[in-house]
Amino acid sequence: MENYVVNVEDLSISIKMDEGILTPVRNVRFAVKENETLGLVGESGCGKSLTSKAILGINDKKCKATGKINFQVDGKMLNLLDLKFGGSEIRSIRGKMASMIFQEPMSSFSPLFTIGHQISESVRLHITKDKKKAKDITIEAMRKVGISNPEKRYNQYPHEFSGGMLQRALIAMALVCNPKLLIADEPTTALDVTIQAQILELMKELQKEFKMAILFITHDLGTVAKVCDRVAVMYLGRIVEIGSVMDIFKNPLHPYTRGLLGSVHKIGGGRERLFSIEGTVPLAMNLENKCGFYDRCTYRDDVKCSQVDPCLREVEDGHFVACYLDSPSQGKQNTR
Amino acid sequence: MDKLSYIAKRLLLAFFTLLMISFVVFFVIQLPPGDFVDSMVTDMIAQGETVTEADIENLRTMYGTNRPFMVQYVDWLKGIVTGDWGTSFYYNQSVLVKIGETLGTTLLISLVTLVVTYLIAIPIAIYSAKHQYQIGDYIFTFIGFVGLAVPHFLLAILLMYLSYKWTGKPLMGLFPEGGITDWASFVEFLKRLIIPTIVISLSGACGLIRSIRAQMLDEQEKPYVLCTRAKGVSEQTITFKYEMRAILNPIVSGLGGMISGIFNGSTITAIVLMLPTQGPVLLKALQSQDVYLSGGILLISATLVVIGTLISDLLLAVLDPRIKLLEESK
Amino acid sequence: MSQEKQKKDLAPNDTLLNEKELKKLEKKRAKQEKYYTSSQWQLMGRKLIRHKLAVISFILLTLLYIGAIFAGFIAPQGLEDFSATYSNAPPSKIHFVHNGEFIGPFVYDYDITYDKFQNKVYVENKEKPYKINFFVKGSSYKILGIFKSDIHLFGVDNSDLPEGKDKVNVMLFGADQLGRDLFSRILIGSQVSLTVPLVGTFMSFILAIIIGGISGYYGGIVDTIIQRIIEVISSFPTLPLWMALSAAIPAGISVTKVYIFITIIMSLVSWPGLARTVRSKFLSLKKEDYVLAAKLAGVSDFKIIIKHLVPGFMSYLIVNLTLGIPNMILGETSMSFLGLGMRAPATSWGVLLQECQSISNIANCPWKLIPVLFVGTAVLAFNFLGDGLRDAADPYK
Repeated sequence: MENYVVNVEDLSISIKMDEGILTPVRNVRFAVKENETLGLVGESGCGKSLTSKAILGINDKKCKATGKINFQVDGKMLNLLDLKFGGSEIRSIRGKMASMIFQEPMSSFSPLFTIGHQISESVRLHITKDKKKAKDITIEAMRKVGISNPEKRYNQYPHEFSGGMLQRALIAMALVCNPKLLIADEPTTALDVTIQAQILELMKELQKEFKMAILFITHDLGTVAKVCDRVAVMYLGRIVEIGSVMDIFKNPLHPYTRGLLGSVHKIGGGRERLFSIEGTVPLAMNLENKCGFYDRCTYRDDVKCSQVDPCLREVEDGHFVACYLDSPSQGKQNTR
Repeated sequence: MDKLSYIAKRLLLAFFTLLMISFVVFFVIQLPPGDFVDSMVTDMIAQGETVTEADIENLRTMYGTNRPFMVQYVDWLKGIVTGDWGTSFYYNQSVLVKIGETLGTTLLISLVTLVVTYLIAIPIAIYSAKHQYQIGDYIFTFIGFVGLAVPHFLLAILLMYLSYKWTGKPLMGLFPEGGITDWASFVEFLKRLIIPTIVISLSGACGLIRSIRAQMLDEQEKPYVLCTRAKGVSEQTITFKYEMRAILNPIVSGLGGMISGIFNGSTITAIVLMLPTQGPVLLKALQSQDVYLSGGILLISATLVVIGTLISDLLLAVLDPRIKLLEESK
Repeated sequence: MSQEKQKKDLAPNDTLLNEKELKKLEKKRAKQEKYYTSSQWQLMGRKLIRHKLAVISFILLTLLYIGAIFAGFIAPQGLEDFSATYSNAPPSKIHFVHNGEFIGPFVYDYDITYDKFQNKVYVENKEKPYKINFFVKGSSYKILGIFKSDIHLFGVDNSDLPEGKDKVNVMLFGADQLGRDLFSRILIGSQVSLTVPLVGTFMSFILAIIIGGISGYYGGIVDTIIQRIIEVISSFPTLPLWMALSAAIPAGISVTKVYIFITIIMSLVSWPGLARTVRSKFLSLKKEDYVLAAKLAGVSDFKIIIKHLVPGFMSYLIVNLTLGIPNMILGETSMSFLGLGMRAPATSWGVLLQECQSISNIANCPWKLIPVLFVGTAVLAFNFLGDGLRDAADPYK
């Protein structure tokens, strides 16, 4: 057994709604090692955020999660889904061993408490009850993420911070207890490009220092190439391809991955038309037993692909794909 | 510094509001056809005196009712500021004295109902929001609807009738005969306070429950709640520290409206239950065209609402770090 | 090879399945598509229908308003009918069987005695049945102020009444002090109690959209002044202000004028709250990108307001309006109850409740509280309807 920080097996999430049962996440499996960054890539609504929140157990009560989320606690693997919803055990893991950075720094803090109070709350919960010590730790963490003059900033309210500073504060809040797993849910989407680069750089540095595992959720492939070691591509609640960044970028196998990569503009790539995937993502409700990408796929095999949803299979070492095609050259491209 | 200028601004605004209110009040009390002299003359004729046109004209000049509206208003306002609120025609008493007689009980009842309203509404609203679409929520929502649907005066009558059925005599009035002198009379006073408190606070509480519940539900959806949960903070702490704190602001800023609602309720309830508050006096004043008295009561109630609003604004300045942002969104 | 075989095995099954299921699936898909492409109002309608309480409320309100429109026809008595004989008479019992014989619906006359407090005691005189007939002639009335008639839905056949006796009436909800049928008076009163709030709300709605719209869209000094005015008006507790204003309605003017005055007073006092909502909605919508886009595209201010801003919160406003009506119902009832609203000869639910001011009246004649049920029903129904509308206004939630 390798030294996984988190190992997700067959995670499915279903939501009961008036119109039927929605299954936004289906049979997802992946694992993240220490000091490794796994990118979770997909369009909005593909289930990547739900998956990550399921690890912390902070999804809405309506979301029923099944499968296993094995998390390393004191050297042993513990299935987080066995823990009571909102109970003290899962709470002692949240924020301490696994923490999360959210998309919108502006709304991720309560506007009514000071930044310092909100960050140190984590410390007071998980490390020390001593307020003075908690404050010192907090200020140290704020300094580490590059917030200048943290002693003064400690007593300021969120509306006195800029977006980039708030994101730094959010990172400080996530890292203040030295977690083993950091889930970053599109941490840079709400920020300017220059600040994006700074924040990504910061995260990389901090990962080196703390040997964290990072689960990096994004729809931006450029960011993935920059920060991730491995990538998992999600489509319609399933992982359709997973492998090292090199493998995926050099040799994308799933038609969807190829579509994604085709729709990224490369600098110096000339003035070609950007590729776009036709059609829209279907609703994850009452899905038929066929490949989820069937309706939009240009390589589809009308017989095979329409009957059984393909499972993940290993094509090369550590590179899995959920598609019947063996290589990009195989199968004719249907022109619709 | 920010806060100081905010407070100063609020005070100034309240002052202007009061000034405009006094104008509206004077306008309203001048609305009824005829004036003070007319009613005086009718009264004099009724007493068998003979009144000539010249007498009436003299009276008008004497009381100044034939002067332009604005002049009369300024005169009236001067009186208000210097403590001369005119004479109550019906009670034959100074308006200020008459209002003073009932102001204490009015404030007492208002304060008691205000406290009761919040004490009932806040816990129920939080319970309802935390158990949305569960049986408890449905029950409270239903009671809340019924509470909003039953007119104040009817509830007052019904409860009075029930108290009559159960105890043999209706719980009316507020103070026992002879005033509060000993423990027993104090208990009697408390007993008589029950019905008005229930009646007046019910509709306010029901409205408050609905709005707090909705705000609480809104608050639960905010991203920071998720973020705080991800820190490992317990649900209780999230509810009572973060969400409660957030809904406290709208509760506080609704104070003015709440007081106004309580005056609505207490006016009519007091008339039905014959409480010694301003309600019955106002009705009598309006029925007998006793304009200075009705104007005075109107002015006092509006002033109390303004003061309530001012207090809530000042409280907000203490409570909310985002005063500047608030100002912009207002 | 084996795969092909499998496919062959599956094939017939598959086509069978397909033919049946395909149609179903297609229907389902079409339905889903419809759901995602239908307009905002269609979605609201669909959601509203699912809200059972709102639907029931809507039906109840429709019934109440039909009752108000056809009050003259449905009510057995007219507005001015009274009978000293039947003062405080209890609700009539409707019988079907007389002396063991089924003769259709009828009522008995009363023998009237007095108790020791000089209160009338009504005892049915079972000798002679008075039949209830349908479509009988009675006092004349007008429907919607236009169609004149004297045919009533039902009434007692008084053709063989003994000489010198007062007419026998059917009084479903009993009678008041002056022997007037409460059922008839509730229906006639609903013409006031149900329309004043509606017209008043509509008027304050217009005022609110205009004033709030100006305030929110233009901002600046205009906004400041309007805001101050709103604050002043809303600083007054509504009921005392209502009372003061309606005390200013001159005595001795016609019922129609009183009605108009009361409606105006209602809307004058209640527009500020709504205007505030309109303003804040304008303010938040004004900042939306699509408004900026429209501005950049050279669309005029007026067109932006009408085409882009108003539809954006129309549903929201309608919800607010519906929820504002109950307050006006209660307000009108309260004022009439205090004698400051509608006056005799006109009636309204509040006027009917005036008799409930004394405990002895309630104790002896509990049926006089029946108008409360109507007030409560109307208020609750508007509340539920408004709530349903609010949920429906957010169709994707």
